Order: sequence, then structure tokens, then C-alpha cells
Amino acid sequence: MNENLFTSFITPTMVGIPIVPLIIMFPSILFPSPSRLVDNRLVSIQQWLVRLTSKQMLSIHSHKGQTWALMLMSLILFIGSTNLLGLLPHSFTPTTQLSMNLGMAIPLWAGTVATGFRYKTKASLAHFLPQGTPFPLIPMLVIIETISLFIQPVALAVRLTANITAGHLLIHLIGGATLTLTSISTITAFITFTVLVLLTILEFAVALIQAYVFTLLVSLYLHDNT
Amino acid sequence: MAGPETDAQFQFTGIKKYFNSYTLTGRRNCVLATYGGIALMILYFKLRSKKTPAVKAT
Repeated sequence: MNENLFTSFITPTMVGIPIVPLIIMFPSILFPSPSRLVDNRLVSIQQWLVRLTSKQMLSIHSHKGQTWALMLMSLILFIGSTNLLGLLPHSFTPTTQLSMNLGMAIPLWAGTVATGFRYKTKASLAHFLPQGTPFPLIPMLVIIETISLFIQPVALAVRLTANITAGHLLIHLIGGATLTLTSISTITAFITFTVLVLLTILEFAVALIQAYVFTLLVSLYLHDNT
Repeated sequence: MAGPETDAQFQFTGIKKYFNSYTLTGRRNCVLATYGGIALMILYFKLRSKKTPAVKAT
């Protein structure tokens, strides 16, 4: 049981070759690119969703921030689709790997910070001291704000990893419990099965919400720096 | 949001003109001074540990 619980998080290999790059690239083939002026239903729905999300997310940004539109939309589509595909039974979810989430979070966060320091150096430095801080507290608060800045990419990555991993583990555990209980008590097994169904619905929501939260936070860090 | 427009409402004199937690310039200078102070402390302790021998000869 213990070994089975974590085997879904081991990076899969085929004939000794890791197939994680293929799994990461797979969601992109599920988004057909528009090729006509008036496309079919699937592409039209996809375009409508992307327009809706991009309008809502980029409305707060200045012209400079809106140059990140493609990056942010690709990010939310990638994380959302990867999380949703991971809910399929026996599939591997790349976003359960901290290495991958750090690989997304650190460059994006560093990009926003570098943009801020390059174009608004004074304001970026001034951000480390909240306005109206009492004089004796200034050094301590500068140190605290610096630490909180460097914690941002770590928190971004760990939040996504922990949420997706925890959800998958819970589904595993409750699914296992349901199976075991069917031979012991049918009523308890039915209750556990209901919990499993509700949890799966929750995990669908969490998959989309975590993609939105990740992208929104990157967007907010960008807004602070542009 | 702090900026040159909101900074104009603050009329500081003396050292507070350059080191305060209200204007953008003041906040920036406080941050740079804090980082400078930390860098100086690290430099001081590094140079001090090089000069003083590990074991004093008796």
C-alpha cells in the first residue's frame, strides 16, 4: 500500500528513456490553432475562453505589462490543462514535481523583478520599505521585505506542488479505502464513494483554480514592477 | 501609490529630507543605507577574523 501510494509521482520512463518531455508537450496538441476567419465550434470556444481570461487578467496592466499577455495566457493554459489531464486515472502529472514548478516560478518572478529594477529602479528599491514606517523599525522592515521578496518564487512553486500532490494522494487514499470497505460494509463503502465523487469534483476545481492563482500572482508581481 | 506628485506634499528639512519613510527618494535611501550597513558589517567581521589568529601562542 505504501509503495503504491507514491508510485504515481515517480517520473515515468520507457525502455530507460524518460518520457516526461513528451508528457509536458502533450497538452499543446489539445489546443488547435485558429486557421480561418470563422473557425469551428471547438476553436471558437477556445478563442472565447482565452479572450475572456486575458481581458480580465490584463485589464490592470499598463502598456508595458500587457506585453506579457502571451506569456501569461500560455502559462494559465499549460498549468490548467496539465492539472486536468493529471486527474485521468494512471496518468502522470508534471505539476506534482517541485523541480518543474520551480523551473516555471523562478524565471517568471526574476523576469518581473528585473523588469522593475531596469525601468523603475527608484520605485523598486523603495518597495522594500513600506510608507510610514517608524524610524527605529526601518532596518528590520527592510530585511523582512527583502526576505519576503525572495520567498515569492518558492511559495509560488510549493503552493502548486502541494495542492496538486495532496489532492492526488487524497484520491488514492479514499479510493483505496472505498475498495477495502466494499467487502466489509456496503453502506460505509457507499458513503466513502460519495466522498470520493465530491473530492474528485473538488480536484477539478482545484486544478483550474491553482492555474489561475499561479498566473494571477505572476501578473500581480509584474504589475508591482511596471 | 507614492510618486513624485504625492512626494511634493511632504516638506522635510535636514537629514530627514534624504532619509524618511514617506517619499520615494527617502525610502530608497533608507533601503540603500540598510544594505550598505549590512555589507559593511559583513566586511568588518570577515577582515577581523583574518587578522586575529585561531590559536594564541602561549
